[in-house]
Amino acid sequence: MQSFYIRYRNTQGTLMRILNAASRRALDLPLVQAEPAGHDHQVTLALEVNHKQVGQLYREWCSIADVINVSSGLAQAAEWAAAHPPVGVTMEESRAAARA
Amino acid sequence: MLKGADIVLKCLRAEGVELVFGYPGGAIMPLYDALEGSGVRHILTRHEQGAVFAAEGYARVTGEVGVAMATSGPGATNLVTGIADAKMDSVPLVCITGQVRSALIGTDAFQETDVFGVTLSLTKWSRLVRTIDEIPEAIAEGFHWARSGRPGPVVIDIPTDLLKAKKDFSGPVKFRPHARPADAKADGGFTDTGLTEKIVALLQQSSKPVALIGAGAKLSGSIPELRRLLDQLNIPTFATVHGLGAVPPQSPYYLGMVGMHGTRAANMALHETDLLLVFGARLDDRVTGDPTRFAPHAKIVHFEIDPAQLDRVRPCELPVIGNLGDTIPAFQAELRRHSLPDFSQWRSVACGDERAELDPRGLAQPTIRFLDELFSRLPQESVVVADVGQHQMWAAQRYRSSSPRGFITSGGLGAMGFALPAAVGVQLAKPDTCVLCVSGDGGFQMNIQELATVHRLGLPVKMVIIDNKYLGMVRQWQQLFYERNYAETDLSDNPDFVEIAKAYKIHSFRLNEDSMREFPVSTETGDQIDRFLRSPEPELLVFDCAPEANVFPMVPAGAALSEMLLEEEPSQ
Repeated sequence: MQSFYIRYRNTQGTLMRILNAASRRALDLPLVQAEPAGHDHQVTLALEVNHKQVGQLYREWCSIADVINVSSGLAQAAEWAAAHPPVGVTMEESRAAARA
Repeated sequence: MLKGADIVLKCLRAEGVELVFGYPGGAIMPLYDALEGSGVRHILTRHEQGAVFAAEGYARVTGEVGVAMATSGPGATNLVTGIADAKMDSVPLVCITGQVRSALIGTDAFQETDVFGVTLSLTKWSRLVRTIDEIPEAIAEGFHWARSGRPGPVVIDIPTDLLKAKKDFSGPVKFRPHARPADAKADGGFTDTGLTEKIVALLQQSSKPVALIGAGAKLSGSIPELRRLLDQLNIPTFATVHGLGAVPPQSPYYLGMVGMHGTRAANMALHETDLLLVFGARLDDRVTGDPTRFAPHAKIVHFEIDPAQLDRVRPCELPVIGNLGDTIPAFQAELRRHSLPDFSQWRSVACGDERAELDPRGLAQPTIRFLDELFSRLPQESVVVADVGQHQMWAAQRYRSSSPRGFITSGGLGAMGFALPAAVGVQLAKPDTCVLCVSGDGGFQMNIQELATVHRLGLPVKMVIIDNKYLGMVRQWQQLFYERNYAETDLSDNPDFVEIAKAYKIHSFRLNEDSMREFPVSTETGDQIDRFLRSPEPELLVFDCAPEANVFPMVPAGAALSEMLLEEEPSQ
């Protein structure tokens, strides 16, 4: 189970879009906690995800209009927010990620 | 003091909207009441789905935002397929829906649906307007999201009481977006000059590089720079169905369409490549085949505006995130400073005669011959609008124009019934252009009511029905993979389309396969086709063809591109 922290402006539908990014991938949402955070809001999600889904979720959340920031407790989280996969990834790792 | 409806229309005009497509109803009636004198021309279709597909056709061919309007409840839900289509194919679209009056929202009132919730996953952005004061900013923000970054659909849902309410109106507003994480990456674009060196290094390490062109390259408006770049690279190049027209088909390195019904040469090159340069394509499964066996030897360099498209199907080694309108010219300019390896040997293999199509003249397929005759006689700047099915794939395979917005079809969603209403939108956008609408007998019937729109407006759309009396593409799959169990694909009791056209006061005639058995076609047949294409009136041509013709090459679902099924060579 991995935790994700998404900071967002609480405009119409933004939280629903954040949750939909998970639900459309048939991911259960065992924990959802949304609360004000300064001028914005933050939602904490706990998800059972695989390696490939992390990148997809990061990118989809970041493309939502009023999402401000996405972070995670995952060690490789910073990589998924940048160029992906890191240039050093081998062909086999890349194919394994496609099969995940 | 202005009514909310007047404010909506003034804000639409401020966004440059001159044309909207729609169908009235109870909740949106106040908006219709305000149309006269607003400067916004409304096109009445005969179904809301026709309206949204027409708005899409308009947007796809112009690059401008298409606008569709519908009432609440069933009117709004009838827009959903078109909204999904715009989402999949990156079409800038704004849908304005009426909603029941504010006090009734949430009570399951007459013709109330939660269109905001229904379309949430299908839209880039949406808003249920709560006060009349919100209207200007909702429209400004909606248009911003529809047209910015990767274009897409937006829904603005307005309760009917707000359309009737009045307020002092100081004018339309400008939307100022906040910076977003995705924007930070998009702004980074190509300012990192190390990207060129990395790509050149990959090219120098490769022996079989290829280039894939998708819709994003066309949407970016950088076609001239892209063509110069491809001439510079001079590597085997192919296009997705939405990339057709980006590369002049006579280019010596161009291999045509790639993917499930792509050319043999394109699919083989994509399977064998060791370096794939992707320009504005999202590596859809129709292109990749089995993603675990897609381009198994290749490193991927992915030029893409939408970071959400990376890692969706197959990770890439080097993403170049940014507007291709910026990144392609920048890359093309920097590449000039580098010398590239000589790929002539690879090119001679990938583009060689041994990989050419087995039946290039369509001798075994009268329908292909017919499409070739049609396309060869089209005026220079025509637009072909294809529906979904076998005819779509044949049309894409035979399309030979280098007009970037010359081939319009529902690609990602594959929505049958798209072509006829979309052709309405295209013709209205391009009144002096020959618009050829190619449909199957199944898809044509899904929005056949739009013949009324064509007739009322006198649009000179040239409509073709490839009538094989089957749901052809499904039948093909049933033949190949379900032991010819043609379950529910028999359309042999189709109505007489010629008589239906006459009922809509549209001239129509019929050709059949016999007319295509001569090569070249007879003078009489040629004259009929020429007259059809050049008529100043709307016309319908029904082409009766064999029921069991198949589209080849074909990559079966779950197969690799190298496992494509090929047509048989025609006997000489």
